[in-house]
Amino acid sequence: MSYFIDLVIVGLSIGMVYALVAIGISLIYSGLDILHFAHGEIYMLGAFIGLMVFHNLGLDYTMTLIVAMVLTGLVGVLIERLFYRRLTQAGGGYTVAGMGMIISGFGMSIVLQNVAYLIWGPKAVPFPVPFGMPIEIGDLSLPPSYIWIVCAGLVLMGSLHLFLKHTRLGLAVRAVAHNKDIAYLMGINVPLMISLIFGIGCALGAAAGVLVGPINYVQVLMGLGVIIKAFAAAVVGGFGSLPGAVLGGLLVGVAESLGAGYVSGSYKDIYAFLLLILVLMVKPSGLLGVEARVKA
Amino acid sequence: MLRVEGVVGGYGSVQILNGATLNVGEGRIVALLGGNGTGKSTLLKSISGLVKPWRGSITFNGERIDGLRPDLIVRRGLVQVTQGKDAYPAMTVEENLRLGAFVVRDRARIARALERVYGYFPILEQKRKQLSGTLSGGQLQMLCIGRGLMSEPRMIMLDEPSAALAPQVVLDIFRTIARIARDGMTVLMVEQNVRMALLLASYAYVIRDGVIHIEGPADALIHDDNVRLSYLGGTVASSDAGLSLH
Repeated sequence: MSYFIDLVIVGLSIGMVYALVAIGISLIYSGLDILHFAHGEIYMLGAFIGLMVFHNLGLDYTMTLIVAMVLTGLVGVLIERLFYRRLTQAGGGYTVAGMGMIISGFGMSIVLQNVAYLIWGPKAVPFPVPFGMPIEIGDLSLPPSYIWIVCAGLVLMGSLHLFLKHTRLGLAVRAVAHNKDIAYLMGINVPLMISLIFGIGCALGAAAGVLVGPINYVQVLMGLGVIIKAFAAAVVGGFGSLPGAVLGGLLVGVAESLGAGYVSGSYKDIYAFLLLILVLMVKPSGLLGVEARVKA
Repeated sequence: MLRVEGVVGGYGSVQILNGATLNVGEGRIVALLGGNGTGKSTLLKSISGLVKPWRGSITFNGERIDGLRPDLIVRRGLVQVTQGKDAYPAMTVEENLRLGAFVVRDRARIARALERVYGYFPILEQKRKQLSGTLSGGQLQMLCIGRGLMSEPRMIMLDEPSAALAPQVVLDIFRTIARIARDGMTVLMVEQNVRMALLLASYAYVIRDGVIHIEGPADALIHDDNVRLSYLGGTVASSDAGLSLH
């Protein structure tokens, strides 16, 4: 039984990482109408920036997390302003401009990988956070880093929820995500909100990268596996739905952990997709998804 | 107050407006009439900034506004009211209204505007905590008009406020529009319901093929043979004589 609980806790914490990346993808999808395929690289960039902040500024782990989120968010805003915005404008506003956006997302992912190679090299680097000994509860022994991921993830999601539901800016973000023309007519500076949405999405991706640092190594290719799981998570939960992204992320994490623990660890990457296929067979719109939304 | 001169524009490479010109004086209700595909919505969007005019000029309160971003035009006090279907369904009635006051930072002003809107449309106050997705078509139209008033603009532009509504509901809404105008609002309304629009407005423009085709005082147009034949189905029904919106 304690083995099972252990696996669930490990699954929930890695699921929290997927969920944070998936929330970013969903947020960017609803705000900019693009599938951001370079989001795994934003997550990687966030982890490296976190590492740099941690080593050079001598901050503690919590502050490192916050500073890395802010810096990566700013990098995201820069990327959106310099590259994606031109493409969306050429396509007549922020609508799916066909393949262009998707291809450029892949392109951005390759560019960011290579930029990271140039700056930080190909070596996998540990994130040296002294979390101390595992916490013993009965016959469970919980590594603190896992607990940390779950708690930090919950705090971030809670803050995002409060921001979206209870602030003037959050209301504007929701308006822009639903319909840009109407948001414009409310007097909302839509391009600014789009930058904000992209920045928040990137900051959440960075948070995931910094949180995963202590349990995995930080390396240039770390985004590849995560982006695929995060997309699976977003689809399992219902694409574009933020609560769906959270639920999907946690389910994918737990499925993966239980599968690896009880069936076979070498097929670890398959369980997420088994879950995906199962969910799509039963409910094609995803668990919390509404019926397909046609974007004008 | 609003002066549109020789506006040419459209979407992509499709030209829809071929030099439209109109004027709206302060405190008046002016109607812009025309069938589907004549360019009236495009003209409205050109004024509110959603569509950038290719040529011509648009002046509001003596200031050029053509080419400005739509949110900056809202900040200057000119607001396009959306159609009822464009309320945000996943937000409550009050959230929709507060969104309309996005450009206002002063809480007291927002509270005052909210009170005023609830005065015009008491039903919205009763339903303020409901998701706007649960409202009827007429209530949605009221919500959108109310939302447009929340930033306390100097002029509003209505995009077919009678669209897809029952006659009694249209009458209610038009009476309230008349009341809003009496309280000092300048109104430009795009309508397909020519009869009702001419009863409400003091001056009207008829647009066809992207240019103003006929214009004149509303009570003259209602008896104009061209307008009657093209848009009013020949005669003005006698029942309209007793209909008063003011």
